[in-house]
Amino acid sequence: MKGVFFSVCFFMLLFRCAAQGGKPVVISGQFENIMLKDFFNQVESQAPCFFYYDSLQIDSVFISVTLKDEPLVQALEKALKNTELQFSVDENNRVFITKGLKLITTLPTQFFSEPVTRPVGLPKDSVVDYGLQLKKPIKVVSPNKLYEIGAKTNVVKGNATIAGNVRNAKTGEPLVKASVFINNTYSTTTDAYGYYSLTVPAGKHTLNILAIGMKDTHLQLMVYGDGKMDADIPEQVTTLKEVVVSAKKTTNVMQVQMGVERLSYESIRRVPSLFGETDVLRVITTLPGVKTVGEASTGFNVRGGSADQNLILFSDANIYNPSHFFGMFSSFNPELIKDIELYKSSIPARYGGRLSSVLDISSREGNKKKITGSAGLGIITSRVNLEGPLVKDKTSFIFGARTTYANWLLTLLPDVYRNSRASFQDINLGISHRIDSSSQLYFTGYFSNDRFSLNSDTSYGYSNRNFNIKWKKSFSSKLSAVFIAGADEYQYKVFSDNNEINAFTLRFKIQQLQAKANFVYYMNQRHSFDFGVSTVLYKLHPGSFTPKGESSVVAPDEVETEQALESAVYVTHRFNPTNKLSIQTGIRFSMYNYLGPQQVNYYAPGLPVTSSNLVETRSYSNGESIKTYNGPEIRFSARYAFTNSFSIKAGYNSQRQYIHMLSNTTAIAPTDIWKLSDPNIKPQLGDQVSLGFYKNLKSNTIETSAEVYYKRIRDYLDYKPGANLVMNHDIETEVINTKGKAYGAELLIRKPGGKLNGWISYTWSRILLQSSGPDSSLLVNRGEYYPANYDKPHDFTLMGTFRVNHRFSISLNSTYSTGRPITLPIGRYYYAGSVRVLYSDRNAYRIPDYIRVDFSMNIEGNHKEHQKTHNSWTIGIYNLLGRRNPYSVYFVSENGVVNGYRLSIFGSAIPFVNFNIRF
Amino acid sequence: MTRMKYSLICLFVMSVFSCRDRYEPDVISSPYSYLVVEGVLTVGGPASIRLTRTSKLDTTGFRAELNAQVTVEGKDNTTRPMVHSGSGNYSSPNLNLVLNTEYRLRIRTSAGKEYLSEYVMARQTPAIDSIGWKRDEEGVRIYANAHDATNNTRYYRWDYDETWEIRAYYYSLYMYIKNNNTVRERTPAELVYNGWKYNSSKSIILGSSARLQSDIIFEAPVNFIEKDAERLAVRYSILLRQYALDKEGYDFYELMKRNTESLGTIFDVQPSEIRGNIKCLTDPSELVIGYVSASTITEKRVFISVGQLPGWRFQEYCPSFDVANHPDSLRLAYSGEYLSPIDAIYSLVVPGLIVGYLSSYPPCVDVTKRGASVVRPSYW
Repeated sequence: MKGVFFSVCFFMLLFRCAAQGGKPVVISGQFENIMLKDFFNQVESQAPCFFYYDSLQIDSVFISVTLKDEPLVQALEKALKNTELQFSVDENNRVFITKGLKLITTLPTQFFSEPVTRPVGLPKDSVVDYGLQLKKPIKVVSPNKLYEIGAKTNVVKGNATIAGNVRNAKTGEPLVKASVFINNTYSTTTDAYGYYSLTVPAGKHTLNILAIGMKDTHLQLMVYGDGKMDADIPEQVTTLKEVVVSAKKTTNVMQVQMGVERLSYESIRRVPSLFGETDVLRVITTLPGVKTVGEASTGFNVRGGSADQNLILFSDANIYNPSHFFGMFSSFNPELIKDIELYKSSIPARYGGRLSSVLDISSREGNKKKITGSAGLGIITSRVNLEGPLVKDKTSFIFGARTTYANWLLTLLPDVYRNSRASFQDINLGISHRIDSSSQLYFTGYFSNDRFSLNSDTSYGYSNRNFNIKWKKSFSSKLSAVFIAGADEYQYKVFSDNNEINAFTLRFKIQQLQAKANFVYYMNQRHSFDFGVSTVLYKLHPGSFTPKGESSVVAPDEVETEQALESAVYVTHRFNPTNKLSIQTGIRFSMYNYLGPQQVNYYAPGLPVTSSNLVETRSYSNGESIKTYNGPEIRFSARYAFTNSFSIKAGYNSQRQYIHMLSNTTAIAPTDIWKLSDPNIKPQLGDQVSLGFYKNLKSNTIETSAEVYYKRIRDYLDYKPGANLVMNHDIETEVINTKGKAYGAELLIRKPGGKLNGWISYTWSRILLQSSGPDSSLLVNRGEYYPANYDKPHDFTLMGTFRVNHRFSISLNSTYSTGRPITLPIGRYYYAGSVRVLYSDRNAYRIPDYIRVDFSMNIEGNHKEHQKTHNSWTIGIYNLLGRRNPYSVYFVSENGVVNGYRLSIFGSAIPFVNFNIRF
Repeated sequence: MTRMKYSLICLFVMSVFSCRDRYEPDVISSPYSYLVVEGVLTVGGPASIRLTRTSKLDTTGFRAELNAQVTVEGKDNTTRPMVHSGSGNYSSPNLNLVLNTEYRLRIRTSAGKEYLSEYVMARQTPAIDSIGWKRDEEGVRIYANAHDATNNTRYYRWDYDETWEIRAYYYSLYMYIKNNNTVRERTPAELVYNGWKYNSSKSIILGSSARLQSDIIFEAPVNFIEKDAERLAVRYSILLRQYALDKEGYDFYELMKRNTESLGTIFDVQPSEIRGNIKCLTDPSELVIGYVSASTITEKRVFISVGQLPGWRFQEYCPSFDVANHPDSLRLAYSGEYLSPIDAIYSLVVPGLIVGYLSSYPPCVDVTKRGASVVRPSYW
């Protein structure tokens, strides 16, 4: 509430003289270096007029002017020519002196053509002329003010486009996905930069801006033509009774896209989490259509896609390994997250390169008004973040860092692991700079690091490093653009020096440089376009294996570095033929060039890809294009809204993926390798049709949806039995071409607001794979369809929060899913001195069902607004029931006997406590 | 050798968070029974191939494949039969294979199905340079060193026979004769104080120098003996055999090992189908388990005696009891093998009168009760 800036000045009534309207007023006199106040007094004594002014604004102004029977207006024009002052004269010869801005003393022509029921008390307020020609954008002050948009004309007709930025008045941060609407007929939401654009018929409107946690704002607009309307919105400080602010009331019904999940930091925070670490990726897995292989994995599977088919963007930086500590935690500092968006089916054309989903995590911008920060203390990690202005209202920074002290966990281990070490860190830095109201610059840097060593044996380390620069520019109220350039890197290192003869270092690294330009063109309310280009240059170091230490006889080995360029152009057309029907058609054309230098093996066509069928090895020079793949990707979706609270949507999407993760473990392991498409490894192709029904109940407080989909995946890579993927120079000989089909239905009931809020989701889905290839003896399950590792047909989640009062809330999360498929032993035999197990077809059986309930309590300190720090506690229990959910089942031969074991990651209820402090 | 040591990490991760429970799923049994072929076509020595069948998980024992015709075919158009010597073992005193010649195995079962292996090269196995051992807090780790100066071998497999001497806690001079409920002195041939126990390797032991510049196997772990184990009570010996493998054979054993020995950690690979180098000619879709290789075998034996391991002691609980020399007492104590006599207790009053017998539990007295044989092996 405090710190709202009123950029408009007011005038004060100082005195008045009697009215004698009608007569023409003329003024004469020689005024030499006279104080303005005295000048006004003298004019008032000459003529029947009244001056209204703010004495503070004029007390130091001196003028010199000579007047001879000049009419009042011309006289004032001459007198005030060299000052910043403006004047207006009304029909009663009342003169209003203002600084910078000019008052309009008449109402617009059509003002009273509005229905009579409209309150007509408004004209009593000041009316200020703000046009486009006046470069200063409007900032919100009062709901009772009338803002004029566009060049003032007497005839008001046609459509006009209003655009602008919506920001938090206190911190200056942009408000994302705030609803901006007029009469529920013309509505839009702000984009990731708080920018909106809305086309409305000219005339008088009430513009409503709603955003969570912010005051509902209603602005009176008089729209003449295209113009800019920036708004700084104060935060909502709830005092006695809770006010439910439902910004996204109708978004799920009205937006054209389907299969989009959006969660704000607040709703992520409410979900009970392991060790009290708010974890984005774990929350994601509670959403319909998202599955996870198991607990020691933050890799997730969206609608039957494998873990590498998700594009994970953190402030537009591409994160290859989103997990810390072997998948126990995700590598995103929750304090810096503004919100997350997961696209499961209608992937916008501006995204590409991955088959099944896009997870867009946007980080917050720093507070532009004052330095603030927070610190958190958990049992595994602690974190600190700091934000504030570098240049007030213009440039701000946000910095976050997390580190772990998980080493104490190692003390719980047997003595032999005494020398083990485990640690991880991540650091974020964001700088945003407002060049002017239509142009902003952002810098994002991200660094994560994991290290792990077990005694003096093998040590592991992996690291994500990303930075990018974004320039956001709105050229006009209709055209805006974002330009991004950045570099991303992921690497891991494994080394062992226990056995000096075999001591080694193994390194893997993937680097990419990317540039994107994305334009948004709002033609009018019916047509708008997104278009742009993007390009990524990959440089992949598939592995180097080097001796460590002088006595090591390990032969240095390096798999040749790979290079490729992936480029795309795209355009999306959003078309609203009627208010009920909305169509979004996107096409993305992607082109991929596998570049030299490289030695490429060519195999006899039609024969199995094995070293015995190698025909020739060709070498290519640096930069030479070895193989080009290209093709269109179609992104189509349509919505028909039968009513404001019920709609049906349908969509078709196709995707291409040129970089593949090769893994023969069940989870994302830190040492999984990535491979670029080459002449032997084709890009993966996927397409999906989906249909959804959306209905909001109880005046939009309850959202329900049902979506069904069918998806095909081609040229997916599975590994041959016993494949060795690390340091393999001919990796194409170890993989099998696989195709997949996935289908399912997702039901969701969500209550976003209220004392009791949360969601219930149920998914039924299947994902089946089938391998194909010329060597039938190597086909998985003889070339029949088999379920993928993450095929869990039934999946149910209940996530609920009950806010007892403002300072205390409790949350409960419960999950049920079918056990994942597993290959089980079906027989036994005797070999090499021991009983051995004969395994079934791949994934022919399932492990027991998964059930877990988590509980947490949030206790906030008092809500006095002006205290130095705000504290909060989170206390909870993960896996409340203490159920030993099997992560995997395995059989080992121990002393000649086959024993079966089930392995659970969490064998008991895990309590946690977390302390947060804000300053 | 340089495979990621996931298991170690996971041991760590698991011991922090996880737990494992026994899992006995509903009986899942394959209706099929597949042929299992195991053995090495030994160059220059007795060779043996064992044919068995897979059986259901809930059964015990193994079905041997009896009365099959097994022949070794050389690429030089020679054939050598292997003769069924019982229990599914087919052997030959010497196949007279020639090094660097390719051979294959043909099996015709009594049910009329025919199986044929791929040709494998008869390989020369380099000598075992040394067998070493290291003592640490947990026990003794035994390792092997080998090298091939010609850099040809690269892939190694080992198996072993181990022998260890044990001694009874008490030196028993008397034995109980159940027939007439009496105790009498042992003859020298009846002494059960010293004994030898035997065991063979139960896991697949592999090594590879494929990643190294030279073909050196340095300290490849072979066996591990826990401290205070019975094996280290007196003297221990291991006879290690070394086999040269080709890459395919190494991959086969590695996969089998991965499937059945090292599963159970979080990042482990999934179990996958085992395919060897034998195919069923009659029914090409039928699974055959086994990898036939041909090579010479080199072996080496080392001894470790308790004197080399100061501070460690094999613990036994062996209290002694006095059993009265009375038929009822003797029957009660000895006939059910509850106790065994050690030595006579003479009367302090009447010289030569045995009033009772010092006794202890049978395993403390008689090494054969601990599964040992009293016959001293030739190499001991």
